[in-house]
Amino acid sequence: MRRVILLLMVLLMALATASLSHGDYPVPWRELVDVLMGRPGASPQAQMAVLDLRLPRLLLALLVGAALATAGAIVQAVMRNPLAEPGILGINAGAGLAAMVLLVALSGLSPAWLPLAGFAGAAAMAGLIYALAWRGGTSSLRIILIGIGLGSVAGAGATLLTAFGEIRDVQRAMIWLAGSVHHADWQTVETLAVWIALPLALTLAIAGELDVIRFGDAPARSLGQRVQLARALLIVLCTLLSGAAVAVAGLIGFIGLIAPHMARRLVGPTHWRLLPVAAFTGAALLAAADLLGRTIIAPAQIPAGVVTAMIGAPFFAYLLWGRRHAAA
Amino acid sequence: MQRPEHTGIGLSAQDVAIAYGRNPIVSGLDLAIPTGCFTALIGPNGSGKSTILRALGGLTAPNTGTILLDGHSIARLPTKEMARRVGLLAQGPAAPEGLTVTDLVRQGRYPHRPLFGRWSEQDAAACEEALALTDMAGLRDRPLDSLSGGQRQRAWIAMTLAQQTAILLLDEPTTFLDLAHQIEVMELITQLVATRGKTIVAVLHDLNQAARHADHMVLLKAGRIEASGTSAEVMTSANIQQVFAVASTIILDPLTGTPLCLPLPRRPPQS
Repeated sequence: MRRVILLLMVLLMALATASLSHGDYPVPWRELVDVLMGRPGASPQAQMAVLDLRLPRLLLALLVGAALATAGAIVQAVMRNPLAEPGILGINAGAGLAAMVLLVALSGLSPAWLPLAGFAGAAAMAGLIYALAWRGGTSSLRIILIGIGLGSVAGAGATLLTAFGEIRDVQRAMIWLAGSVHHADWQTVETLAVWIALPLALTLAIAGELDVIRFGDAPARSLGQRVQLARALLIVLCTLLSGAAVAVAGLIGFIGLIAPHMARRLVGPTHWRLLPVAAFTGAALLAAADLLGRTIIAPAQIPAGVVTAMIGAPFFAYLLWGRRHAAA
Repeated sequence: MQRPEHTGIGLSAQDVAIAYGRNPIVSGLDLAIPTGCFTALIGPNGSGKSTILRALGGLTAPNTGTILLDGHSIARLPTKEMARRVGLLAQGPAAPEGLTVTDLVRQGRYPHRPLFGRWSEQDAAACEEALALTDMAGLRDRPLDSLSGGQRQRAWIAMTLAQQTAILLLDEPTTFLDLAHQIEVMELITQLVATRGKTIVAVLHDLNQAARHADHMVLLKAGRIEASGTSAEVMTSANIQQVFAVASTIILDPLTGTPLCLPLPRRPPQS
């Protein structure tokens, strides 16, 4: 465990250094140290590139990645399904529809409302799915089925809006939906950090609930867990984390699915070890995806969400391939 | 071998009826689980064995009637309190891939730990004891999916033992195990009753296995108790005929003196 965390730290440091020095205005690492230490030697251009542009962007990628990974670990345990990701709770569909409504149907409104609308859409969708799945209690299967159903309804609604909307509005919405951290600024970073700190800490504090609920409703109950209460609380935590991530960065797929899987391979399925490793893994994955997206065909930038999908899909196939000989 | 009585101690069911939707599964059930004994629930498929076990464990709420634990209805017992007093192992439980035996057994401490509670020395001691009792200490670091069926079942029993309950309910603990592993699990159960004073109730399919190991047998048919008592009282060819519609003859096991049921061929063998 300690070795894995150490390894991830080193990886993160390397990624951070690369992210902060690479770009249109390359900053050599000696100057980078000067900038970060606040020494006077650095040029104003380097200071601006690193402190105002690249550092907030890096931090935002790390925070969003950690939030998505933790939300993914929660949802995989609660749904007892290794293929689950926060999207199953309608987070993505709800946020997507809300963004479309805001940008296309209500195009008079300022796009500054976008994060708020995205979060509201995600939370409303998760709440609706949970409420509809309630029949004297919920079950994971009902939540998954209703999530799929409502998700496609919301998707159809969003598509309908794109078909009739102003082309410029639709394009803006599409760019937001693609998922990216390029518009990061310090205020977004601070807001997100404050917002996700408590849910992240709480999730880690009740990691034991995740260990128990994933055995299934009946075994969890015979171990003494109040399953309905635990599931509701965990779904709220997952919604807070992934809803916030979607609100500031749009739809970034695959991190919530892959990061918990990688963490499980590294430290096993017990959550007090899995959660921190998953968060670090998710942070590293998104930072790497963003670095790749903005350097691979520079000066053009590929949104990080597109990169995670492009790397994520083959990587996932590789994971499954690697396990083909594993005992069922 | 003591007969069950409504002593107010231990686990009992009073006039319990359970239905799934409109299908009545169990009706008019009065059952007292003798404390400090191994009770086997037997009966054909669909006779309500598992349903009764789940009701005794508080997983299924009866539609009418009450399940009593030491004289008080379990319906009003907090779930954690219940899990500190009665452990239930479901049939064929599934664990996530890669979970080790230690990590599984530690989950048994859940009902003893407060929210945000730290791992205590009592927790560690209970896990060690559970691993020792089930002879799993040597396999503690192995992932469950690398174990044999019998070892895996022992690991699950160890988790239930780590709950440190006086009463253990086991749903078909030997189904899907081969003969050697079945014997392994049955001997573990009798040992827990004999040396630890546990009260164990198990749903079993094999009549002869039940008769050999159990102190008390409850024979069920269509959600009602057809017979209960010692193996000699329950395992009669009349009862077997009545419940399973199988003609049989009962002989005494030359090793243990317990009854053995030999089903008669449907048609007399041609010679």
